[in-house]
Amino acid sequence: MIEGIMIGLSTALTPTNLAFVMMGCLVGTFIGMLPGLGPMSAIALMIPIAASLDPSAGIILMAAVYYGAIFGGSTSSILINAPGVASTVASSFDGYPMAKKGMAGKALAIAAYSSFSGGVIAALFLLVAAPFLASVSLSFHSTDYFALMVLGLMAVAAFAGKGDMIKALLMTVVGLMLSTVGTDQTQGVPRFTLGMIDLVDGISFLLLVMATFALSEALMAILKPKQDADRLKEKNASQNLGSMAISRAEVKEMAPVIGRSSILGFLVGVLPGAGATIASFLAYGTEQRLAGPEKGKAFGKGSVRGLAAPETANNAAATGSFVPLLTLGIPGSGTTAIMLGALISYGIQPGPRLYIDQPAVFWAVIVSMWIGNIVLLILNLPLIPYIARILAVPSRFLLPLILFFSLIGVYFVSFNTFDIQLMVIFAIAAVLLRFLDFPMAPMILGFILGGMMEENLRRALLINNDSWSFLWERPLTLSILSIAAACLVAPFLTSQLRKLKKQVYDKAGEGG
Amino acid sequence: MRLSKDRIGGLLLLAFCIAYGLLSQDIRLLPFQENTAFHARTMPEILAILGIGLSLATIVFPGSPETPRFAGYNWITCGLFLALMSLYGFSIRPLGFLLSTSLFLMLGFALLGERKPVTLVLVAVPLVVAFWVLMTQGLDVFIEPLPTFLRGA
Repeated sequence: MIEGIMIGLSTALTPTNLAFVMMGCLVGTFIGMLPGLGPMSAIALMIPIAASLDPSAGIILMAAVYYGAIFGGSTSSILINAPGVASTVASSFDGYPMAKKGMAGKALAIAAYSSFSGGVIAALFLLVAAPFLASVSLSFHSTDYFALMVLGLMAVAAFAGKGDMIKALLMTVVGLMLSTVGTDQTQGVPRFTLGMIDLVDGISFLLLVMATFALSEALMAILKPKQDADRLKEKNASQNLGSMAISRAEVKEMAPVIGRSSILGFLVGVLPGAGATIASFLAYGTEQRLAGPEKGKAFGKGSVRGLAAPETANNAAATGSFVPLLTLGIPGSGTTAIMLGALISYGIQPGPRLYIDQPAVFWAVIVSMWIGNIVLLILNLPLIPYIARILAVPSRFLLPLILFFSLIGVYFVSFNTFDIQLMVIFAIAAVLLRFLDFPMAPMILGFILGGMMEENLRRALLINNDSWSFLWERPLTLSILSIAAACLVAPFLTSQLRKLKKQVYDKAGEGG
Repeated sequence: MRLSKDRIGGLLLLAFCIAYGLLSQDIRLLPFQENTAFHARTMPEILAILGIGLSLATIVFPGSPETPRFAGYNWITCGLFLALMSLYGFSIRPLGFLLSTSLFLMLGFALLGERKPVTLVLVAVPLVVAFWVLMTQGLDVFIEPLPTFLRGA
């Protein structure tokens, strides 16, 4: 392993490769910040440039763009509540309220430190545990994957406030419904296309996320313009981001969250199909649960833990998703799928033999992850005050610009004007549902998991001769499903327990 | 029954779930597939039942009794923006990127209260041109800049 690290260091630390890491981080941050242009489009845009480089440099450049885009996505999530990257949607839940309170600098600093820690810790795990974890994920069956998806959806309960669990579950189902639009993967029959050719490929994830988050946020701001006092407050916040320093108490609060979320994010990232987005939502939900009823109330209102958890987990998962890519040749996410395509175009077939046949590529990628994270921290922390100037732009200019970036980001993916019309329809629905206090995040989670869930359920039934008994016969599947059921029942039980406790106290009070 | 926010949302989503359930019956199946445990209709049917059940639960057990208030919101401006976005979608090809986007931004700024024509042009046009240059020259993404009638044959 030491020998491998040395090979990686000697490859990654060459001046040219260092320059590519820096360039990749900067370009990635910039592209990730623009709502609509995420890591996938950023990497896709880099392929022509990477193709002209040697394989190590090309992969290093694309990996740096990947991390940079995730970091940039969190910046736009925090500052303008327009997550350009799906994996930073959860970061906006607490990051944006912090920015609104005039603590944008602190929120961005927390995001930077958490991302850095998540990335570095996960790269360490990748180095030590890659072969072992690859064999573990190999033993997962489709039944376990299906159960894991159910668990992911049940974590939706974590997003629900008091009495909102049914609404959150309903929105999850709506997300799952939207994921079924388009051609059925298994039989090739069109579903819910209403005879429109533009819906045959289904609804684009980017389109849905931009319409429900960026567009609806901007439209809500147009619907209810800020009062003069609020506007003044926001202007002051942008001119003075507030301190970027993090207090000792906050570090104490963040440290265990970073530890837990790094492990969780990395493990989720390792599982093929489950990427940074699921990791960030799961980490957010887990921390909210662990925070308990009192501290849990702060989530969604600018909680340090609520921001640190998804930020750590998404970077850790991004690193984790390289495990199946490098050791098995299976992409762990959409982004690594693009990277797999690029590797194959170089004539490199990722798989168990990669680090025997191409040690320089294998180790250089791992080492460049550390370097990339350090570069991101060093470059982006001093740049935060300049990046945050976006808040100083008056809303009469900023809101149409957000609408433009959202529309054009989606249009650039397909060059289909139908997508713009579809976005308008989704934006109307999202504004209406937000006006009625229905949460959007569970719908997005349902939409992401829908396709994978259906595919794994179909495969599980096929393997089990059309019998649903796999749900209780396989111990691992049953265990995961039991945890999912516990997620669903726990909030009811705890509230009942609290009521019972209160009654006992009241009675004791009356007695005394 | 008081029409709270939850109940109105529940009713809207109930209508959506029923429509979804009805449309799921239009999914074509081959005769032998109808008896299999899993086919193209399975997931939609399960989801329709779950959706209808949860919508009814939202209507029967609303989380909060809060009723919606429609006064005090800029409904007209919001509606105009929706129309503007839709128009932008229709105009981007025939008018080209530079003209359609500049018009979209200028009208957007004007709708939100910017009254100085010079400011409208000075903010929108350079920004659109800079974005176009960045995308076409920097990132190699081709975007047709000109209106149909100005393009070469």
